[in-house]
Amino acid sequence: MPIVLESLAKIVFMFLLILGMVPVLIWAERKGAAFIQDRTGPNRAAIGGVRLAGLVHPIADVLKLVFKEDVQPDARHKAMYNMAPWAAMTIAVSSYAVIPFGDFITIAGRKIPLVVADLQVGALYVLAVASLGTYGVVMGGWAANNKFTFLGGIRATAQMISYEISMGLALMGLMLVFASLRITDIVAGQGDLIFGFLPKWGVVVQPLGFVLFITAVFAETNRNPFDLPEGESEIVAGFHLEYSSLKFALFFMAEYCHMVVGAALISAFYFGGYQIPWLPRPVLEAHAGGLLTGKLIAIIIVSGIFAVLFLRRAQKERNKFGDARDREPRIGAGLWLMVAAGAAGALLLKPWHIGPQGAEMVASIAQIFAFVGKVVFFAWLFIWVRWTLPRFRYDQLMHLGWKVMLPLGLANLVVTAVVMALV
Amino acid sequence: MSFEGLPAKATGKKMTFLESIYLVEIVRGLGVTISHLVKNIFATEAMPTMQYPEEKRVYSDRFRGRHHLMQREDGTPRCVACQMCSTYCPADCITIEGAEHPDPSIEKYPASFEIDLLRCVFCGLCEEACPCDAIRLDTGIYEIAADDRAKFVVDKEFLLHNKSDGTR
Amino acid sequence: MAKLTIDGKEIEVPDGTSLFDACREARGEPLPHFCYHPDLSIAGVCRLCQVEVEGMPKLTIACNTGVRDGMVVSTRNERVTQAAQQILEMHLINHPVDCPICDQAGECGLQNQYMKYGLYDSEVEIADKVNKAKAQVIGPHVILDKERCVLCSRCVRFCDEVTGTSEMGIFNRGNRAEIGTAPGVELDNNYSLNTVDICPVGALTSRDFRFQKRVWMLKAANSICPGCATGCNVRLDHEAGRLYRIKPRYNPDVNGRWMCDRGRMLYKAVHDENRLLDPARGGQTLRWAELDTDLLAGDGGLFVTSAHQSLEEMFLLKKLAAGGTVCGGLAGSDTGDSDELLLNADHTPNRQGLGLLDLPEMNGAALAEAISGTTGPVVVHGGNPAGEDVVAAALRGHGRTVYIGSHDNETAQACNLVLPGAVWAEKAGIFANRDGRLQAFSQSVARAGSSREDWRILAELAGGEVPGSLRAVREELAEALDLTEVNLNKLPARGLAPVGATSGGED
Repeated sequence: MPIVLESLAKIVFMFLLILGMVPVLIWAERKGAAFIQDRTGPNRAAIGGVRLAGLVHPIADVLKLVFKEDVQPDARHKAMYNMAPWAAMTIAVSSYAVIPFGDFITIAGRKIPLVVADLQVGALYVLAVASLGTYGVVMGGWAANNKFTFLGGIRATAQMISYEISMGLALMGLMLVFASLRITDIVAGQGDLIFGFLPKWGVVVQPLGFVLFITAVFAETNRNPFDLPEGESEIVAGFHLEYSSLKFALFFMAEYCHMVVGAALISAFYFGGYQIPWLPRPVLEAHAGGLLTGKLIAIIIVSGIFAVLFLRRAQKERNKFGDARDREPRIGAGLWLMVAAGAAGALLLKPWHIGPQGAEMVASIAQIFAFVGKVVFFAWLFIWVRWTLPRFRYDQLMHLGWKVMLPLGLANLVVTAVVMALV
Repeated sequence: MSFEGLPAKATGKKMTFLESIYLVEIVRGLGVTISHLVKNIFATEAMPTMQYPEEKRVYSDRFRGRHHLMQREDGTPRCVACQMCSTYCPADCITIEGAEHPDPSIEKYPASFEIDLLRCVFCGLCEEACPCDAIRLDTGIYEIAADDRAKFVVDKEFLLHNKSDGTR
Repeated sequence: MAKLTIDGKEIEVPDGTSLFDACREARGEPLPHFCYHPDLSIAGVCRLCQVEVEGMPKLTIACNTGVRDGMVVSTRNERVTQAAQQILEMHLINHPVDCPICDQAGECGLQNQYMKYGLYDSEVEIADKVNKAKAQVIGPHVILDKERCVLCSRCVRFCDEVTGTSEMGIFNRGNRAEIGTAPGVELDNNYSLNTVDICPVGALTSRDFRFQKRVWMLKAANSICPGCATGCNVRLDHEAGRLYRIKPRYNPDVNGRWMCDRGRMLYKAVHDENRLLDPARGGQTLRWAELDTDLLAGDGGLFVTSAHQSLEEMFLLKKLAAGGTVCGGLAGSDTGDSDELLLNADHTPNRQGLGLLDLPEMNGAALAEAISGTTGPVVVHGGNPAGEDVVAAALRGHGRTVYIGSHDNETAQACNLVLPGAVWAEKAGIFANRDGRLQAFSQSVARAGSSREDWRILAELAGGEVPGSLRAVREELAEALDLTEVNLNKLPARGLAPVGATSGGED
């Protein structure tokens, strides 16, 4: 029974992590795009005058999409049309089952591995589920009975076939290096150091494999520069053209879930997952007290700076808008001050005298944070790349997939195998 | 313009090896975008975006805004319903009905003068066509919004008292 | 015949031709002019048509000069064009140039000719113009603006020579000279609006058309006036589905260049408020799709047409009648005023057509008796036979009556089923005028409400035995009228004259 509870708790945690990141990513996408293009981006939606630098917009968007009329084409295939967005969403989330988001955590004397399902063939599972992702898109594109959506679906399929081979080849190199298909093994293997100073991350031992893998992941998530299934300049909005309201929202969310999954895969396979470089688990546990204290002090300093900045803004923009938005800086300052006060209160509990159990807990949490931090960075990379690169032309896409990445992937595999055999 | 001396076929710049593998150039591109992002985070005020309802762009005096019918000294329209503007109008948005004016020295005046602002392209040809300087696009009003199509068809009374500051 | 050279071009014209007409033939366009009018006497007052004739020391006006054999004339050299420019400037001296409020703008001789021959950079002082009366009502139809007048005297000559009523005259001298009506006299004859037509400027304008529309917005459609048996050729000026005025169209065999004021006002009936817009049965409005023709069932019946309908419609009604009795309507209906110029006492456009198709008219009592005596349906097409009380009573008593017409009248009130037909401007057809001349008219404006072309209604009522296009109806009609060598779908511009009639006038 406890194992069921454990698994359920882990599933809920992962689910909340992904779904919680979606609005933040949407916000980062819009705001980041705006700043990259020298615009201000979303800054209007507010709750009681508080705009959170545009973070309220995703909430408003969700409300809007939920309450909008669901316009459906008459000639759709009803079952598939309704199923497609759910399929897209479900498949996007299910890769997560095999990705470890931490080493282990000890609760009530039980040592719980921080992965939902520690499959022996975890890497294969990842590849399998990733290629299933096309089904949502193809079903949606076909069932809507519109030539543009259909073209979008076809493009998604062709793209998937072309790139998942390179993805698999890139991963095979990694499997040879770490001699396992189990993702927890791969991540654990990346905790070592080479030559005593270089972390044995996937990106270090398999640099070409990393480039191939990240390119393929971009293609699998249908993100720019590989967003041909959407291709709004050619096929209007591609596969989700005929979707509106909540179904459109699901497709939209599935895209961002894909991004998070992609980011998690990249960090797990090539950037050491939850591993903190040069700070292996025993070291972390040994210095847990100092680490915690340092963290708290850092929090106090950072939130203090933010509070001061907000106070200055409050003074400068006393009556900038003449409405509830003028309260915003004062509320912000108050919140940051409260954070600082909370951290200071925690300091009073003498965190440097933390026991062995507490030390273990701190180490686990630190590793979870390390993982989440890496995921956030790569998710941001997706956004960053989107607003930097133009979209591929279709022939360029095929050329890259079949004539460049496939031979490179094969070469990488052969070289890796030879090196592994010799060493 | 002469095409002599130009190559028959456009030839792009030959890419170097580093450029042809893209990766370096992609990283450089990422550098460009992130530099903009960082710069803008720390200098939000310097961005050219205008916070529109609060801030408004100041336009030139020659800006063609919503139309405005000029008045005579007694407040009646200067227009004599000659329909030069509606004839000249490329969008066909002006509808005028002429009628006999009680003052025989004026003779003709517009019984109705309607402009469909949704059809108007604000080209200003009506101003140019008007022999009496009766119609002008000088209000500077560009915020023309309504929740009903019918409200965009503005009549004579509206056009006569149409300046944002209430002057004529 | 006289042979002369105009602008280096040799032409031959009959003796007695005016130099003006000879120049028009040689140039392909008339000389600039105000006072010259082909149907009026020569006045020679506007001095605009001056040409240079070799051997004459000064320029001479072409309208008042006859051709002579061996004449050498130039109409386009610098001296002539300069003269035209200067004379136009003189005409402008006291002209108010109030074109924006002038109804003539767009079809104004002064505007058009100034654009063509004028100086453009005018030397006229605006400040010291002689002011005269503006917007003076001088009759029931005409309004006069003395400032705009160029004193061409066309209107004076028209009233003297065509109507013989002589209401107009030129009064005073010099720059005080002005056109006007004689004291105590109104310009009140049935042809007064022709003075508006011939006025080259905006001095005389129509009270009815005043400020209604700028003329350049109007579209023109050729038609035939339905006002009386004369069948004047007219032009319908319309815009956006609305008629604005009726103007005469030149046809030397029928009306020349004139038409009467009564005919000009007939366009108002097209947009009348009592037009029938929807089919109705017993006062209940129907849609065409809901129409039930059960009333027409059964043999026999009485079919009454009228002299207002076109030949095609009469023919179709006759076909529809098949076994029943056909009647040409009420004898002597719609008669009234007449004069010796154009207006005929018979105020229907097509009474001759009844004769052509052998449709006898009946008087009121006979018609009422015929209606009461019929067991089959009674179909009344056009006209208003129930204007006579006996007929109205007979119709009310019958119970199976159908009226096809354009306006709500006593007959429409009296009939069970009312079908809205088109008025003449909304359909095509052929009228036979008082001389039996066949003249075609075509549709110019869209039909009001859900009304339909009458021939379509009749064809539908008749079922499948009637051709589905007006073209085919006309072919059958030609056969019935024994006009086999004539194409009724393409009648000549002046109309098809009955055999033996003579044609007159120039084209």
